[in-house]
Amino acid sequence: MQAQKLQVKFFAGAEISETALVPVFHDWIRERVVPDELLIDVADYSHVPDGPGVMIIGHQADHGVDRDGGRQGFTYSRKRLAEGEFPARVEDAFRRALRGCARLEAKSGLGARFGTGEVIFRIQDRLLAPNEAATVAAVRPVLDAVLAKIYPGQTAKVESIGEPREPLTLRITVNSTAGVSDLLARIDA
Amino acid sequence: MSAPSWKDRLSGEMSPAMTLEIDTFEGQVELKKQGKLDDKFFAEARLRRGAYGQRYDNGLRSDGVEQRTLEFPQALTKGPDTQWDAPGMMRIKIPMGRLSIKQLEVHAELAEEYSDTILHITTRQDIQLHYIHIEDTPDMMRRLAAVGITTREACGNSVRNVTACEYSGVCSTESFDVTPYADACMKYFLGHPDVQDFGRKFKIAFSGCHDNPCGLVTFHDLGAVAMVVNGQRGFKVVVGGGLGAVPVEAKVLAEFCPAEELLPLSQAVARVFARLGEKQSRARARIKFLVDKLGLDEFKRLVQVEREGLRVDERWTENLKDLHRLDEKPIRPAGALPTGGPAAFQQWAKYNLKPQVQEGYYTAVVKLPLGDFTSRQARLIADLARDYTGDGIRCTVEQNLAMRWLSGADAIAFWERLSAIGFAEAGAGTITDMTSCPGTDTCKLGISSSRGLTAELKKRLTLVEDKLDTQVRELRIKSSGCFNSCGQHHVADIGFTGVSRQVGGRKVPHFNVVLGGQWTENAKQYGMVVGAVPSKNIPKTVQAITDHYVGHRESGESFQAFIARVGKKDFRGILKPLQVVPSYEEDKSFYSDWGDPREYTIGDIGIGECAGEIVPFVEFGLQAAEQELHNAQDVLDALDTRGGSPVTAATGAFQSMATAAKALVRHLDKQCRDDADDVALQFRTHVADPGLFNDPFAGNKFAHYFLSLHASKRYETANAEIAHKCLDEAQLFLDACHASYQRWLEANKNQAAE
Repeated sequence: MQAQKLQVKFFAGAEISETALVPVFHDWIRERVVPDELLIDVADYSHVPDGPGVMIIGHQADHGVDRDGGRQGFTYSRKRLAEGEFPARVEDAFRRALRGCARLEAKSGLGARFGTGEVIFRIQDRLLAPNEAATVAAVRPVLDAVLAKIYPGQTAKVESIGEPREPLTLRITVNSTAGVSDLLARIDA
Repeated sequence: MSAPSWKDRLSGEMSPAMTLEIDTFEGQVELKKQGKLDDKFFAEARLRRGAYGQRYDNGLRSDGVEQRTLEFPQALTKGPDTQWDAPGMMRIKIPMGRLSIKQLEVHAELAEEYSDTILHITTRQDIQLHYIHIEDTPDMMRRLAAVGITTREACGNSVRNVTACEYSGVCSTESFDVTPYADACMKYFLGHPDVQDFGRKFKIAFSGCHDNPCGLVTFHDLGAVAMVVNGQRGFKVVVGGGLGAVPVEAKVLAEFCPAEELLPLSQAVARVFARLGEKQSRARARIKFLVDKLGLDEFKRLVQVEREGLRVDERWTENLKDLHRLDEKPIRPAGALPTGGPAAFQQWAKYNLKPQVQEGYYTAVVKLPLGDFTSRQARLIADLARDYTGDGIRCTVEQNLAMRWLSGADAIAFWERLSAIGFAEAGAGTITDMTSCPGTDTCKLGISSSRGLTAELKKRLTLVEDKLDTQVRELRIKSSGCFNSCGQHHVADIGFTGVSRQVGGRKVPHFNVVLGGQWTENAKQYGMVVGAVPSKNIPKTVQAITDHYVGHRESGESFQAFIARVGKKDFRGILKPLQVVPSYEEDKSFYSDWGDPREYTIGDIGIGECAGEIVPFVEFGLQAAEQELHNAQDVLDALDTRGGSPVTAATGAFQSMATAAKALVRHLDKQCRDDADDVALQFRTHVADPGLFNDPFAGNKFAHYFLSLHASKRYETANAEIAHKCLDEAQLFLDACHASYQRWLEANKNQAAE
């Protein structure tokens, strides 16, 4: 699988104020909190209902708190220059999404916290990853390996959601009460 | 196995012309990466295909504390002072704002795969996608081309998107449906040689009637207002309008131009503009300056002379043979609008449904916040269209979507579905339906945050909307981030344009307040500037202005009439206390802009690309010829390995010669069709025979290569040996074309010096 455009979203467990988020994301750029990515600017789409919310536009990836599907969450969206083979790229996308969640949780006054029992994994590339059963079959072993790492000993339910004209989207549900930092420690181990 | 590509997948779905156009551009991207194309040339090449620059693409951005370098991975550039890897904007031309369901769905795909999931509708009925990487643009163009959309000439110094009233064909006040005429105009000028050598962009608009504002022709470079005189269809044609720092109302070029005469007249205007328009100073290069400089009478005379000299072109009337080819048909039976229904529905229906001339049908305006909607929402709107209205979707100049052919009987069901998407907000065309250019969010020229301000005003006004005075509620607010006026603030009741002011050694974002512009009668009147107010006081300013109007208007007095009566003096007094900026220590919030907590700076303003690069058309022609010869060489190289055809290679070589010859002919301001016979004839007449192509040593030898190959047509039966010879001769001919062009330039320079 050659696809680079991988998205991972963890849902917010509490409402995050978009107004409060804008300066936080500007700080991320100024403080270069993601040292191996070039973060360029903040785009505020909080005026769009169920939209991309507030996001950082980066060269390699975008980071944002969106309301896609009517539910708020942090999405890491890789666009290009991901290193390694597909399994490494998938694992890296999960790791970076978790790091983003952890950074927001650590920001005092923002009140951000994220659940770990439900994750959205999406491949935004209709050419390299058409939304069809064969692609899901090809992706599953790779995804399962990452899930085994972050949810050891637990069975994750993975289902294809959305309609055929949408990008391939998988919803992962697992009975997890672990925190973001727990998952991050596991994936970094 | 090679990776799949959009080029392969869509090869049968694009027209040959679009395929060639996009392949050529992809070739230019590749050549630029290899350092074989000049920055200025590539910049204009991409701009003419809609690939625009964005803020910070010079690699510098203020982080609120200091100016920082954005360290993009590649050292390449894609234009003067423009980083290759920097995100850019893709402007997609939607002629007359007409979108089919399929086209909308493809936009949704592109927005999520290459952009940030947001589709943005502009004030000229385009769709813009932001944060695009230049290397993704050829595939984006292919995916659009496969559904009949081109981005060609969406930017750059050429004819931009041709706009038209979104109610064309369904409007009760129009003289006739301008859609087929605007479409014919768009098709005629797309890639037309006479619109390639402008010093600046050229905007054309059509309106179905005089009184309503939808076409906004009075601030266009060329505008056409439908009229019927003695049973004959035609247009009142106006020229030389424009907004910008100094708005100019278009002047009447023809009180009545018969419909079949519209394209030749427009072509004559284009040729005069190309020949005499300013090329060096961008600030004075729009046609409004030329009309002003020459005077309207002289301009008209020159256009008339030009018109008389035009060679007849059958395309002037070709697209007018079937005026019903673009007609839309309802997909649901007509029906009456329910008198009952939920209160929210009734409110929505009051403002957002416009009865069509066809009884029982309505145009529904989907009010989009700041012109934005997501990929997911685009798909849901496509579904709505599929179920209720069909392909009659139009982007509007007020950054909304108009969905035509909604049966009154379906209105509640439609509204319920729209509510589920989040877009059933009432108040289309009212004070909460604001227009804004991108401003400092993404535009390199933005001075103040027009989108930030608009979002803030909308938030506040929506809260009090129900309590607003009726006349206040129907006012329009429009904001531009700078004097270029893309937000069309000059024609709003209350307009704002971004400016910067220095206070206590610091920069403070401000907006100039412009009052009393007139939207109706095709944007008849521009507003007057009353004064600059700090951005953070603009909401209070809106309140103060509307309170003054409500408190002091005469019975039934419109806002425009009120402004005209009371004049600037009253409002200067009202604005005075709001113009005070507290010190930085007192209130730092004044020193940052709406929606952007960084300390305000104008250091991020770059060099705008809307002016395009001035690259003469002849240079594009010579470059295209080089590309064709390069492709022919590839075919020839593949003779042994991949079974290339010598005829294809030789034909390609001849075509490259014809392309170069045509470029030279047109550079001499001579008319020339695209067919090889005419190119050869015109080249012989205007270039070869007068000796303009004579090499100092080889004389007319290289011209003979082209003319004899045209006469013999031996490329049509070429074997490998002849193909090689054709390619060699083509290379020499192209070299001679470049040399001739250089000699001509040199001669002009010397002449000018003398």
